[in-house]
This record gives sequence, C-alpha cells and structure tokens, in this order.
Amino acid sequence: MRSCIKSWLDDRLGLPAVFNFLRDKKIPQHRHSLWYYTGSVILVLFTIQVITGLMLLFYYKATIAEAHQSVARIMTEVSFGWIIRSIHSWSASLMIATVFVHLISSWLLKSYRRPREATWMSGVLLLIITMAFGFTGYLLPWDSLSVSATKVGTDIPSAIPVVGSWLTKFLRGGEDVTGDTLTRFFSFHITFLPLLLIILIGFHLYLIQKHGISLPLSLEKSQEKVKELPFWPNFVYREAIVWLLIFGGLITLAILFPPSLGKEADLMAPAPVGIKPEWYFLFLFQSLKIVPAKIFFMEGDTLAVLLILIIVVLFFFMPFIDNKPAERKGKIITIIAWGAVLYGIAMSLWSLLS
Amino acid sequence: MKKKRVLALSLAFFMFLFWGGYDLVLSSSSTVSSFQQPKVKKSPEKITASPKDIKDKISIYVFMGWMWLSIFILIYFLRQKIKEEDRLFSYKDSP
Repeated sequence: MRSCIKSWLDDRLGLPAVFNFLRDKKIPQHRHSLWYYTGSVILVLFTIQVITGLMLLFYYKATIAEAHQSVARIMTEVSFGWIIRSIHSWSASLMIATVFVHLISSWLLKSYRRPREATWMSGVLLLIITMAFGFTGYLLPWDSLSVSATKVGTDIPSAIPVVGSWLTKFLRGGEDVTGDTLTRFFSFHITFLPLLLIILIGFHLYLIQKHGISLPLSLEKSQEKVKELPFWPNFVYREAIVWLLIFGGLITLAILFPPSLGKEADLMAPAPVGIKPEWYFLFLFQSLKIVPAKIFFMEGDTLAVLLILIIVVLFFFMPFIDNKPAERKGKIITIIAWGAVLYGIAMSLWSLLS
Repeated sequence: MKKKRVLALSLAFFMFLFWGGYDLVLSSSSTVSSFQQPKVKKSPEKITASPKDIKDKISIYVFMGWMWLSIFILIYFLRQKIKEEDRLFSYKDSP
C-alpha cells in the first residue's frame, strides 16, 4: 500500500529527480560556513510571520474605530492571542536582524563578486522590503506611540527636493496620518509587500541555484580543494538543528517578553514624549537627530536625507564599486564595512539610552 | 565551605527564576508573588500581555519545558543522523 502511494506520488510529482538534484548540490565547508545558515533562518522566520499574521488577521480590524480595540481583544480575550501577537512581533525583529547579519556577512566575505552581482542587489531590495514590513506593521495597533512614530517617519521623505512632499502624501494617503494611512499601511503590509517579497525571494533563490554558494575570497585565491557536503541530507540536517534552536528561542522570548499595547491614539492630542521607532530604525533616527538645522546654504534635514539616499544607492551598487576585492580598494571597502557596522551599533545605543 | 555556599545560593537563584520568579525580579512595581497579587483595575494607559490566570501561566511554563525537552531530543537524533550520513558520504567519496 505504502509503496503504491509512493510510486503514485513519484510518477505525478517527479520527487526522485528533485532529491537527486538536492543530493548533487554541494555546500562548501570551511570556517566561515556558519554564515550560510542565516539564509534559511530568514525563510523559517518569514514562514512563521505568514502563519502568525494569518492568525492575527482573523481578529484584526483595520479601521480607526476598531484597530486598537481589536488588538486589545487579541491580547486579553482571544485564547493565547497575546502569544501569537508576541511571536509575530519577535519573529519580525529576529527576521530583520538576520537579514542584516546575512547582508553584512556577504559584504565582509565579498560574496557579490562576479557573477553574483544580481544576487547582492536582490538581497539589498529584500532588506528594504523587510524594513518596510516593520514600518507598516508598527502602525497597525493604532496606539499613541505608533501613530506619532509614523507621523515622524512619513515626514522624513518630505525633505527630499521636488518629489518629497508628494511621497509623504502618497505614504499617508493625505496631508496627515489618518484612517486612510492605517488602511493604506494595512494593505501594503498584507498584500503588496508579501507579494513583492515572495517574488524577490524566488528570484534570489534562483540566482543562488544558478551560481552556487560563493566561497570566501581567501579560499578562492588559495585554490585549495575545499571540503564539500551534499545539500540533502547532510546540510539540511545541520540546518534543522539551527531552525529548532531559533524556534525555541523565539517562543521563549515571545512568552517571557511580550510586547504591550499603548493608549489608543488620539489624532488631536499632542505627540507623547520620547517617540522612538523600532530598534532597526534607531541608527537612522539618531543620525537625523544630530544633524544641525542648517549646513552652509542647505536645510540640514534635506542634506541628511539626500546623504542617506546616496548611501543606499551606493550600497545597492556595491558589486560594481568593489569590483577588485582582492586589491587595495577592496581592503578599504572592508574597513568601511566594519566602520558602518560600528556606526550603526553606536547610533542605535545612543538613541536607546538617550 | 564558601564554594558550597555560593553553589547553593546560585542554585536557589536559578530555581527562583525557573519557577516564575522572574516576574518579581523584572517587575519593579510589584514585590508580591502573582498568587497574592491584589486585583487591581487595568490601567487604560497600557495593556500588558500576560497569561489570563494562574492556570494559563502554569500551562505556558509546562509547554515551554516540554518544547525545550522535545527540541533537545530532536537535536540528539539529528546529530546521530548527521554522523551516519557523513560517514556514508566519506565512504562513498573515498577512492
């Protein structure tokens, strides 16, 4: 009976060919192999996000009158609703942290070397979309802190010359943060962004299949024979251990440190003291805060936002800038990468402690 | 003697943390256990997420214990499988 079902499935789905492909796929083993696990961890966390997000959707209502109340209901009335919300929130944070680690490790290992330029660029886009997920999701509980932080966040693009005010209006769905902003952010959060993310993840995975996993520069230069493992089952079993530990850590964090819900937002009330965005925007928030109001003849905000945009564009085109990673220029870019990491941590800590 | 005292104190501290004592350590507003906590009217300023009652709280900790136990057992079996698969692969790979 069992073999009958197996052969029926094999005939229809062509599973032996898939397993043979996965068995033939080899993963290099060296002292930097640890970073290879971050990619699949992102996928696991994204899956958890989708599952918990769907569960929250059963109860969440995206209108000014009901958003806060529905989240409060999830937290106080729905059985274990507070855990589901907490897992959703913690997995979002962990996913963004893992995307940062994944991208920074690729930067330091120079994984974007020819022919993997498009893999890097799709990765940078994935980071931006993941952060957009966090930004749109932060408003959904409609508490005073999230609404005020969204006001500040959506005001930032207005400093961009020419298109800035249009962009702010587009994000808010009007002049100010209102119910239209809530429905707009909700639509982005549950339809547009997931669709874009799934397409980009598919593209990113296709490129990884096409070009294979990159080796660190030092190993590639030495031309030594690197030990390899089959992806299936040797590497997948190793990954499964990491997934289990991440899952356990996530559930433990969600139970011990669940996020609370602030007072319902009042659009007429003044902004509360100490507005801060989520941790992954703190370095940007602090950088904008320390910029003086006027620099030479330009507005400080405009200059800072333009500078951030230029940095994002340079980061996106990094494979073409760092086109000779083994030479002096490549070494300088590695120092810049470490500097950027330290700057991000220092600015986030400064904002957190101030 | 001193070593034993330190060991006993650390053991007591970890047991205290393990059985829900972290609430007392982390929450600055409360110094009584959740069993004795007076019923205070919920502040409209902030809604904190927590188990509804003591039954929920116990079931959450039991679940967490069960989850970690299952994870460690699964990891043990996965490690055995990894060893076996690596041995098979090196056997196939060798000339």
